[in-house]
Amino acid sequence: MYIYIYDSFVNHKKYEKVLARIETRITDLGLNGKIVRIGIMTSVHDVVENELRKGANTIIAVGNNGIFSQALNSIAKLTNVGQNVTLGLIPIDREKNEIANLLGIEPEERACDILSARRIQTLDLGKAGNNYFLTQAQITTDSTKLEIDENYTIETREPGEIFILNLPTLDLGIDKDISNAEDSKLELLIRTAKTKKIIPTKKGGINHSYLNFKSVNIINQKHHLILDKHLNVDTPALVTIAKEKINLIVGKGRGF
Amino acid sequence: MFNRDQKEFDIKEAETIIGPSVKVKGNFHGTGNIIIEGTVEGSVKTDKYLLVGEKAEISASIEAGEAKVAGIVTGNITVKGYLEIAATANISGDVNAHEISIEKGGVVNGKLTIGTMEKAKKEIAEN
Repeated sequence: MYIYIYDSFVNHKKYEKVLARIETRITDLGLNGKIVRIGIMTSVHDVVENELRKGANTIIAVGNNGIFSQALNSIAKLTNVGQNVTLGLIPIDREKNEIANLLGIEPEERACDILSARRIQTLDLGKAGNNYFLTQAQITTDSTKLEIDENYTIETREPGEIFILNLPTLDLGIDKDISNAEDSKLELLIRTAKTKKIIPTKKGGINHSYLNFKSVNIINQKHHLILDKHLNVDTPALVTIAKEKINLIVGKGRGF
Repeated sequence: MFNRDQKEFDIKEAETIIGPSVKVKGNFHGTGNIIIEGTVEGSVKTDKYLLVGEKAEISASIEAGEAKVAGIVTGNITVKGYLEIAATANISGDVNAHEISIEKGGVVNGKLTIGTMEKAKKEIAEN
């Protein structure tokens, strides 16, 4: 059974027409299911838990990175409730939909055809504290200390960004050979303003840092760690590969 | 992998890169090729190739399968195979490798031991 979870922002009047088109397309394709609209008093986690208990096996997030991240976290945390649950996404708007781009999911009603094709890929998840992420965790280098595998620490002396990569979004410009979500490994990437290419040419020199690890404790008193471009997590946060995996509906044009 | 006949190590083969903006403290042990352009305090160890770039400053003991040193190293270096010391290198510590080349301008303040691969291997195994 399909459960469609609408993010709160799509309740705005300007999305009425696009939602109507999506719902028509869903009906045409025979993908009908229950629609749940998230509001101030509704929690995505509670909705997912209730529906999984009732036997739902496919959750479709309708919105952007935010609702996707919330649904993914709920499914990963509820593996004792729902087995073999699949997560899909119908992106609304082009903004804040980098995850949809990565998964090769076309915006709005065109996503319904991808759902109908039901091309499922099982992917690794990263875990930061009690929260999960599919793509990357990122934090500024400002005041950030990294404790890696309990063996050594890393500090950065220039302004930049630190990324923990599982399946990096395409806007980071990282080659898929560097990081993928099927190797049960996470990678650490530090880039500064001087970083031009992640894989440097001999002309460009090296202006980034890159390494594999098993666990990294991220410490920053001033800034949050951001998961999947949406979820802010306080530090210290221990980041590892999660034992849970996620079944995702992906498109032909996926970036991995 | 790097060898004497190659002019440059292929950066794409590096499993670990420590860039010039980064400072590492502790026991930094890897299993693949490592490039260091930043600062390291502690120890560095890999069975494969280690490149210590021109911008690198290392205060650590170093153990590697093969290596090129072009930066500043304060600490002992043990290399199982071939060690290339570049013109820009400045090493303060004992150096032990099976084969060594030192480019004109390269500085080593310490004891050089060459051709004792078995000894070097034993030292790496013991550590």
